[in-house]
Amino acid sequence: MNFSELNQLIVDRPETGEFSVHRDIFRDPEIFELEMKHVFEGTWVFIGLASQIAKPHDYLTTWIGRQPILVMRDASGKASAFLNTCRHRGAVVSHLMHGNAKYHVCSYHGWAYDSAGRNVDIKDQKDAGYPEAFEKQDHGLMPVARFAEYRGFMFASLNDHVPDLEKHLGSTKTFLDLIVDQSPQGIELIPGSSSYTFKANWKLQIENCLDVYHLTSTHPSFMKIVERRNTGDSKHALKALDFEAYRLPGVERGSFTFTNGHAAVWGANPKPDVRPLFERVDELTQRVGPMRAKWMLSMRNLTLYPNVQFAENASLQLRIIRPISVNKTEMKIYCMAPVGESAQAREHRLRQYEDFFNATGLATPDDTTAYEDCQTGYQAYNVDWQQGYERGATQLQYTANAYAKELGIDVESCIAGPFDIQDETVFRAGYREWLALMKRGMSKGGA
Amino acid sequence: MACIDEARHVQGGGMNPIHLNDVTKLLHQEAHYLDTQQWDLWLNLFLEEAEYWVPAWKSEHETTSNPKAELSLIYYATRAGLEDRVWRVRSGRSVASKPLPRTQHNVNNVMLGDKTFNDGVQVLCNWTVHQFRTKPQEVEVLFGRCEYDIVQHVTGLRIQRKKVILLNDYLPAMLDFYSL
Repeated sequence: MNFSELNQLIVDRPETGEFSVHRDIFRDPEIFELEMKHVFEGTWVFIGLASQIAKPHDYLTTWIGRQPILVMRDASGKASAFLNTCRHRGAVVSHLMHGNAKYHVCSYHGWAYDSAGRNVDIKDQKDAGYPEAFEKQDHGLMPVARFAEYRGFMFASLNDHVPDLEKHLGSTKTFLDLIVDQSPQGIELIPGSSSYTFKANWKLQIENCLDVYHLTSTHPSFMKIVERRNTGDSKHALKALDFEAYRLPGVERGSFTFTNGHAAVWGANPKPDVRPLFERVDELTQRVGPMRAKWMLSMRNLTLYPNVQFAENASLQLRIIRPISVNKTEMKIYCMAPVGESAQAREHRLRQYEDFFNATGLATPDDTTAYEDCQTGYQAYNVDWQQGYERGATQLQYTANAYAKELGIDVESCIAGPFDIQDETVFRAGYREWLALMKRGMSKGGA
Repeated sequence: MACIDEARHVQGGGMNPIHLNDVTKLLHQEAHYLDTQQWDLWLNLFLEEAEYWVPAWKSEHETTSNPKAELSLIYYATRAGLEDRVWRVRSGRSVASKPLPRTQHNVNNVMLGDKTFNDGVQVLCNWTVHQFRTKPQEVEVLFGRCEYDIVQHVTGLRIQRKKVILLNDYLPAMLDFYSL
């Protein structure tokens, strides 16, 4: 893969509205290796919530691209992230998903690290006969190149040449604020999580979270179940997300794309009372104002490129994407909630979440099955290009529309209108960022 | 076999004590109905007010313990949630649910639990499901433990509560009631 071959993989002609991606980006293992290097290990990726490591010495383990990561809070309360590998022979020094430990001792030869990542012991060092050159080396865990938090959302980059996190996030900060400000005490992860894999490329998940077009054709069983509950044909009394209501005349929806590959879709909520957050509507209106309260109760799916999504439609879901191979992806998912919500709202939130999401839910498995069907279809190597990314192109605006102005955000593009637009132009930001990161990496001789 | 404590074989049920053999038969019946896709008969093994719970995991060895405040993979306070799932499978409108996998449920280590209540018994067991997914032509194995509350009903033994501990929860894309 060289630079000009890479350039051939995306057709992007804003003047005619044409846009497409070559199917090789979903099926070529060589491209996948380059993505890990230049996309996942070349930019900011989400690594967790600060509240997951709330106390000194708390830690969690995760991944950036292919690389194992250990995120720790030290004795002074400072959080940092390191490559989870002993500097000696390479074993991971922490084996659990999360925990609390002052020291992480490698179980192979016993080199020990404190929660600030410093090497505090090289077993039997004194009479070992190490030369001076060894003694002069830093034996601490290798820190990530950059680590930063925005309002409790922790990010890291293995590449030092990235903008400051806040600049990277840009106007998506406004969307993160709409999550964090749902309670004066902020948000939390509800205990318990779930992981699943699907046999398809990670970019299918990136697309799907921003894909309104699939809802009525992928999830008709869910929609019908909600209808059956509403009519009493089902005796299961759960107030759930109602896509049909979003299709009512006059209910606006739209999408925003931002700098650095981020994007969001939104829908005005015709039934805000089905949301567990609705119990706080008066407090929210008073504290954050009616405009932001309305947006908090709206449907919003946010993708921060390349590995994290916040889906606020049925309750509020955090999704962390970890590509395993060109045709296998791992998802780690959590239910988020405002701190201090009532026990009743919390229970409602959980039931809504489990109803729709989870690999055991009534909607997510239909999505993942569709991804796997796509990946199987990509074996039709004689078909090169995807079709339909032009959907919405004639409605696309490159300056802030009324909704962007209301939120006070800067956008790369936006669309608003009736439900049936269901634009696919919203995917373009991610693919443009993909190409930019790949080119940047390869131009540094990184191929 | 010599001397097995009779108390561990007969428990609860008020005037009509429930025998281990009878609950084992019920669990085998449930497995059979799931494997042969006889969903109505399967549902009918549950009382209408039956609770169905598959907790999520919090760490390597701890599941969530309070479905009202912590996440579950599936939680229904009544059978109506399971009826929704059966409806979905039959609807033909869920791409994840067609074609269904061929499943084989095996239930073993069935024993009576310590919890006692008037009309019924607590039953513990291990379970394994082998399933063959026809689309990718792949075999999956799921396994875990179950806790049941089983009660005497006018129509026979019925399930009042089923709690499924799924031990391999790193799931390949999807999991539904017919695989548990």
